[in-house]
Amino acid sequence: MAKRINLQGNQACALGAIAAGCTFYAGYPITPSSEVAEAMARELPKIGGTFIQMEDEIASMGAAIGASMGGLKVMTATSGPGFSLKQENLGYASGAEIPCVIINVMRGGPSTGMPTRPAQGDIMQARWGTHGDHAIIVLTPASVAECYSETVRAFELTERLRVPVVVLIDEVIGHLVETVDLDALKPSRLVTRKFADGPAEGFEPYAVTDDMVPPFPRPGDGYRSHTTGLTHLPSGFPTQNPSKAEAALVRTTDKLDLHADLIEAVEVAECDDADVVIASVGISARAGQAAVADLRSKGVKAGLFRPKTLWPFPEAALKAATKGAKAVVVPEMNQGQMVLEVERLLKNKSVHGLGKIDGEAITPAEIVTRVTEVLA
Amino acid sequence: MKDSVNEAEFQINDYIRLDQMPHFLCPGCGHGIALRALLWAVHELGIDKDKLAVVSGIGCSGRLSAYVDANSFHTTHGRPLAFATGLALARPDLHVIVITGDGDSLAIGGNHLIHACRRNLNMTCMMLNNEIYGMTGGQVSPTTTSNRYTTTTPAGNTEPVFDACALATAAGAGFVGREVTMQVTGLKNLLRDAIAHDGFSFVEVISDCTEIYGRKNDLGVSPEMMLSQKAGMRPEAYRNTVDVPFKPNALECGMLAKNDRPEYGATYRAMVDRIRGKGA
Amino acid sequence: MAEKKNGPTNVLIVGVGGQGVIMVSKVLAMLCQNHGYEVKQSEVHGMAKRGGGVFSHVRFGSSVWSPTIPVGEADVLVALEWAEALRWINYMNPQTGTFIADTQKIVPPFACRVRDRGADAMYSEETPAEIMENVRAGYAMDATSIAEDLGNLKAANTVLLGALSNSLEFSVDAWLEVIRSFVPPKSIDINMEAFAKGREWAQAGPKRVDENAKGRGVSGRDLHKQVETKLEITEEWCKGCDICVKMCPERCLRLNDQLISELHKPDACTGCRMCEWLCPDFAIKITNTPIMEPAE
Ligand code: SF4
Ligand code: SF4
Repeated sequence: MAKRINLQGNQACALGAIAAGCTFYAGYPITPSSEVAEAMARELPKIGGTFIQMEDEIASMGAAIGASMGGLKVMTATSGPGFSLKQENLGYASGAEIPCVIINVMRGGPSTGMPTRPAQGDIMQARWGTHGDHAIIVLTPASVAECYSETVRAFELTERLRVPVVVLIDEVIGHLVETVDLDALKPSRLVTRKFADGPAEGFEPYAVTDDMVPPFPRPGDGYRSHTTGLTHLPSGFPTQNPSKAEAALVRTTDKLDLHADLIEAVEVAECDDADVVIASVGISARAGQAAVADLRSKGVKAGLFRPKTLWPFPEAALKAATKGAKAVVVPEMNQGQMVLEVERLLKNKSVHGLGKIDGEAITPAEIVTRVTEVLA
Repeated sequence: MKDSVNEAEFQINDYIRLDQMPHFLCPGCGHGIALRALLWAVHELGIDKDKLAVVSGIGCSGRLSAYVDANSFHTTHGRPLAFATGLALARPDLHVIVITGDGDSLAIGGNHLIHACRRNLNMTCMMLNNEIYGMTGGQVSPTTTSNRYTTTTPAGNTEPVFDACALATAAGAGFVGREVTMQVTGLKNLLRDAIAHDGFSFVEVISDCTEIYGRKNDLGVSPEMMLSQKAGMRPEAYRNTVDVPFKPNALECGMLAKNDRPEYGATYRAMVDRIRGKGA
Repeated sequence: MAEKKNGPTNVLIVGVGGQGVIMVSKVLAMLCQNHGYEVKQSEVHGMAKRGGGVFSHVRFGSSVWSPTIPVGEADVLVALEWAEALRWINYMNPQTGTFIADTQKIVPPFACRVRDRGADAMYSEETPAEIMENVRAGYAMDATSIAEDLGNLKAANTVLLGALSNSLEFSVDAWLEVIRSFVPPKSIDINMEAFAKGREWAQAGPKRVDENAKGRGVSGRDLHKQVETKLEITEEWCKGCDICVKMCPERCLRLNDQLISELHKPDACTGCRMCEWLCPDFAIKITNTPIMEPAE
């Protein structure tokens, strides 16, 4: 029997995490993501998991990584200013390849900005927020059901690939309540990281394996390995030898290319014959969906390209979806972030931004107007 | 809950990663002595290396974790206590020891220290206080003695200093103590008691940075610095004597505070059991 | 013993840190106070745990001016430790003084003049009998063993107080009342018994030596087993910081011309491990192998 309930986007992230096997959450209150923490505080003890509200955003990121170093599936959630604070430790998780999931519910910025108003201003921060070249995966759900299923997928990816995964939602999606069928969403399998189980003698925690994802040495299993944020050798110990350092760094970024098929996810609608493609994520993509219907009813061949995996950006899928299109419009609640990437990938196409930073969501009508302008 | 006492003679080489030696610390740096005392305490408690987790931050102190033959985690600047909190909650079967420095735990990580004390989660924090940011070339730290020279106090330090042990005590740490490196056996015993304590334990080690801080302030070579640090301490045995034959401003050493507040991990797990019991 | 016509009664109590010299003198002072005497007590303490000497002068009478007892004027010398008894014996009044000493020996660290491991400590060699020949009256008694037989070593002080009670004219009840107020409740019974035993032992004669006194001494040989020391230096780890060189109590290490530590006076090394413990680079390893005692 289907289990249909009304659920909020933030809560769906929490339930998705629990379904994916998350047993540890560390967080810090911040609008508009606090419901994730509240739901985790309620749900985790029921399954014998651990919730802790840490003293600050930095500590909650640290504690989550610490618990993951202990072998648990972990998550934290935050919003703009908190996401900025978490960046250093996020870089640590990327460099040291510690699995973790971060929910970032985007609000108006910069600084304290408009805490209760939606925005999509963290698209670049999610990719490049921490310093240095690093691997990271960013998922962008656009509905409550997707908040659940993309959080599940975030755990699958972080555990499988040992890369931190950010689930990037905007305030509208985070606070949206929709009816979902939890049973239908329940993951059919649980993906858990590969723990080291070979001989401890000569074990290398960052060995170059075929899949470029080294098995994780769980403390207590006898490996006694070293984990550091310094650039390290396969042995886990720091190096400044140029060729070795580069090889070590490149493996962590190359592993995303190797597993691109696993990571990439897009929704493409009505792009086959489209003259104009609306490329967008989150709530703006939903407005885009309505705009496509409206445009089609007016005789304009419009299509929708919606990355569910925003970073690494689904380049091939974008190129395929926009093949016949004359123009691409990128609506987003910022002054133009995703559009930069689309422009970069579609050098010979006419790419147009549609930015909005007034604390209101983009409406389908605004997109229709923009498309009409562009096609004129 | 702690392992039994080990009678076998302590051999440091059983507890360090020989392939990482010699370590990178400067000649005469007291951190090495503190590390010996720590591992000696671990040995005496009979702690299994596989169950030992050493978490450190950034700075000279932060590098020590790499030399310990255990599960070692060299984390970000100021945050080892935050990482350790997650690790200790996730894995109550591990013995979690944090190695940090005065800059790491009192400046950038001060917030984590006070909340770790308040929370009283079972772990031990060894803070190596050498009064200086050594790794970055010798800048003033929250514990740099007044008027001393550093690269960022070229005319002498004008800021007041932190008393880390008073801070930890006030914040509610279950066990607080201080010792100089010269008293290596006393330090070992103090660390042993700290690790054995069920709750958050904080041990400040007065360590010498000869090469940078000592040189800049004419404090002499390592043996001289160690002896003067020792002379500046007020041993535990004389703490409460009335006829004080010591300098009134001498630092107290030994165990400074102990209270048996509930350990946080156990408290949380009891709540979980209660909730799950109700649910069943 | 009656109060001397021309002055206060002088009781000198001596021992080493941690034994309870202060407690014994407080008991006596309170007892005297309870009897309306003026009391002066002056002491040196603070040497706890270090085996250092501790002494307390107790003077009481109808009026007392000076707080300290001049040499040769103590009416009673109470010593909780044998060597301390001998050290202070000249404070006793040679004509009228009474000597009360526990024969137990606590060898102070500074008695280890020869620092080789296993070397004998320098400690007074006179037997209790030899000492007693030179005092007018008193007791060389094994108070510690008496107390141990009762089940609590710490009651040795009360055994000595029992002996002392014979030399002062306070009633047994008065003594017990004061002692009761000083000892922890759970050991009151043992202390009552200890007092009785000490008093009984002393009542058997004005001058007694316990010929069987074990003198429970500790010799250097017992403190430190004789060992063979092997000192190894991992030269690749040594950074020449000079700590071992300066901290070695025997000064038997030095830096060679490569500024690496080396043992240049192996014979002086006692195997104390100071260098091993204080080397920040773990470069020194000491192995002490016990040597079998040569047959006597
Ligand atoms: S203490 Fe150690 S590092 Fe320093 S000189 Fe001696 S052996 Fe060398
Ligand atoms: S063990 Fe070391 S410190 Fe002790 S006497 Fe020998 S050389 Fe000197």
